[in-house]
Amino acid sequence: MLWKDQYKIGVELIDKQHQELFKRLNSFLIVLRNGKPLEEKMDEIEKTFGFMGEYVDVHFKSEEALQKKVKYPGYEAHHKIHEKFKQDIVSFKKEFEKDKYNEDLIMEFSGRLLTWLINHVTGEDQNIAKYVPEGGVKVES
Amino acid sequence: MKVEQINPIYTASKDVFKKMFGWDVEKGQLQIVEEIDTRNTTNVSIGITGDLKGTILFSFPEGFILKIVEEMSGMKFEKVDKFVASAIGELANIISGNAMNGFSGNDYNCDIVPPQISLGESTTFTTATDKVLLINMKSQDHTFDLFISIADNK
Repeated sequence: MLWKDQYKIGVELIDKQHQELFKRLNSFLIVLRNGKPLEEKMDEIEKTFGFMGEYVDVHFKSEEALQKKVKYPGYEAHHKIHEKFKQDIVSFKKEFEKDKYNEDLIMEFSGRLLTWLINHVTGEDQNIAKYVPEGGVKVES
Repeated sequence: MKVEQINPIYTASKDVFKKMFGWDVEKGQLQIVEEIDTRNTTNVSIGITGDLKGTILFSFPEGFILKIVEEMSGMKFEKVDKFVASAIGELANIISGNAMNGFSGNDYNCDIVPPQISLGESTTFTTATDKVLLINMKSQDHTFDLFISIADNK
């Protein structure tokens, strides 16, 4: 999963968080697709799903704080998208806990995650950039 | 089917491919067909409910699917597996979701149901309308088909 500088929205904290999400998902995909048995990569899979659940929450809070600061008019709609995604992760994790070695379940969720993240960063998040003043804005983590 | 019921789907496809991959999508030949009979191996069907009812079906050739997922992941893929199919299902879901926003601008309030993905050649799907619009789309030296079967439900 490749990070491109054109994905930056011009706010240091948010851009760093996006890059971290891409980096972690990239490492995860390399392990997931390495052809080895699921048992051998379960530690990495569990670690990534755990990280995603926590980091996504931290990142969404930062992003929504930015939206409020720059008075982004799409805040409500964007917040709903974040909440829906967090619910999807929770639902998946419940399924995963019940059936950890279901490779189809893991592959299905990971494929969806890849597309969702790229679309969100290149689509909805770029709309926020239009409201960021020249010279940027500071958001606390 | 009216223009305002079709344009949002084409526009959403074009916009999503441009934003996500930087690729242009061109509209090719338009045809009216009796049924959805696909010639490609990966088909994603999205149901529409609300003021409009029906189906949008994205029919992709394998080579194009693999190119899309390789572009997103930076990894090589040899075949369409669960991971690839799911990534493409989400892409069709995103395009259709954006098209619904376009419909709402035309006073049609609609929703979509989760994508159904089918793999395999020459698949036939049942439709809500007698006639189906088939649009050939072109991008990155590949052609894919968009079948639209939508009826007014107001």
